[in-house]
Amino acid sequence: MVSRSFPQLLTCFNRTAVGSAGCRRFSITPPGRATPQSNTAVERVTSPWTLMAAVCLQRLPVITADCSPIEQRFKQMMQQMELEKSLLSDHELRLMEDAERMSRKQGNEYDSDEEEGHGDQAIMLAQDLEDTWEQRFKSFQPAPRVRADLDKDLTSVQRCLADSLVLLAEQQVGAEKLWLLPQAAWQEGETLRQTAERALCSVTAAGFKATFLGNAPCGVYKYKLPKAARTESSVGTKVFFFKAILADSAPGTAPNTALLWVKKSELQKYLKPAYMMKVDRFILSL
Amino acid sequence: MNHVFRKLQVTVTQQASILSPSLCRTAPSIQHPVWCTASVGDREYKGMPTHGIGRWKYLLPRQAPKKKKDKTQMKQMVSATDTAYGTLNVKVSGYDMTVVEHYSQYIHNLCNRLGIQVAESYALPTKSTEVMLMQEQGNKMYVEAVLKTHQRVVQLSSLNTSLCPIFVDVLLKNQPEGVQLSVKEHTEADFQARFKARPELEGLIAQINQ
Repeated sequence: MVSRSFPQLLTCFNRTAVGSAGCRRFSITPPGRATPQSNTAVERVTSPWTLMAAVCLQRLPVITADCSPIEQRFKQMMQQMELEKSLLSDHELRLMEDAERMSRKQGNEYDSDEEEGHGDQAIMLAQDLEDTWEQRFKSFQPAPRVRADLDKDLTSVQRCLADSLVLLAEQQVGAEKLWLLPQAAWQEGETLRQTAERALCSVTAAGFKATFLGNAPCGVYKYKLPKAARTESSVGTKVFFFKAILADSAPGTAPNTALLWVKKSELQKYLKPAYMMKVDRFILSL
Repeated sequence: MNHVFRKLQVTVTQQASILSPSLCRTAPSIQHPVWCTASVGDREYKGMPTHGIGRWKYLLPRQAPKKKKDKTQMKQMVSATDTAYGTLNVKVSGYDMTVVEHYSQYIHNLCNRLGIQVAESYALPTKSTEVMLMQEQGNKMYVEAVLKTHQRVVQLSSLNTSLCPIFVDVLLKNQPEGVQLSVKEHTEADFQARFKARPELEGLIAQINQ
């Protein structure tokens, strides 16, 4: 058995406003990465199953999903309640004081010497500040939340910013081309996670930076070859799935295989039923 | 000393009450030990069969009295094994305090549900950032806004590697807007950073060492 390497995990996830790449910014710094040691002296029991590792690359949502009608009503009610229970802030107090002072100035018995020295507060009223802020707010143009043309383009990574998307690749399996999570065959002397990383690199042609979430696989799919094709040494394949999160998508080079970014609800159209059943279990639709 | 008196009185009066209740009212004056005749008149209620019914502190395990001189020790850092990560710090930071606090509470509750042991859950001091803008006419900068960054840390004592991808995935999918999540290993330096620096003490120590 090849002993597993154990990289120390240091990750930093940022959920900021829509960045240039439309993805969250990630950074990994594994300080001490132990090299895998292969035990050549151990006897290997050759199993009739071919091992493969696949990667479930997810692009996390960039913006929050819209609230359902009940959620909206509840949100409004809570905001109303909090507004009614809250105390006046400094800015609002200033507004009230200024208004009061203005009304006293208009009155006949106004003695400016009695007023406490406010200094520059008298020059810049709170209302003026509010007006400048209003103007600046109006001049700010936020990016559109939903772009219908991008949503329909399944190959674009910027589609459906409110949902999490999974990468699918069309790969040659046996005699036919199937849509599945990018996978690669396991080779001697490497861990399954490294196989999954290799699968990702081969399919996306080094455009994507992905953070793998751990050394342990999150799912497995067993495929037995049809009786005619079965031999002594190959009964079927076992595919282990590893989860990864998309860090920075810099789509410079065009991928060599057809790629799709699909939501969980759209997976059914592309995957075979037996495969879909296993994959469905570990893809979280939150 | 009173404790001893009361114990003796209780045992004496209990024995009396077992025999017959009517004896209790008259018995105390005879059966009380010689050295507490002063309190005979006030303490007649001690003869009641229900005396001492609410006592519970004697049932608790003995706790050593807490000395204030003990420096707060760091909890033992769990080291990483082949199947589990060691002590991890999940740090949540952001500008909106309610969102940050609610998210850290969510993480804590999720860990409790999943059976991940939470060592500690604490807050780091808030950092204030002043946003200054240049004035349109002139070179002076004026304070536009004050942003406060709040940080909360949930310290996990150990995390199974098989559970880790699921845990992190759930955390990421539920991450609210405006909140940064970071998962790091816990180090001694992190623990020491929480303490306030005491410049006079450090100065004195330096003087002694010189």
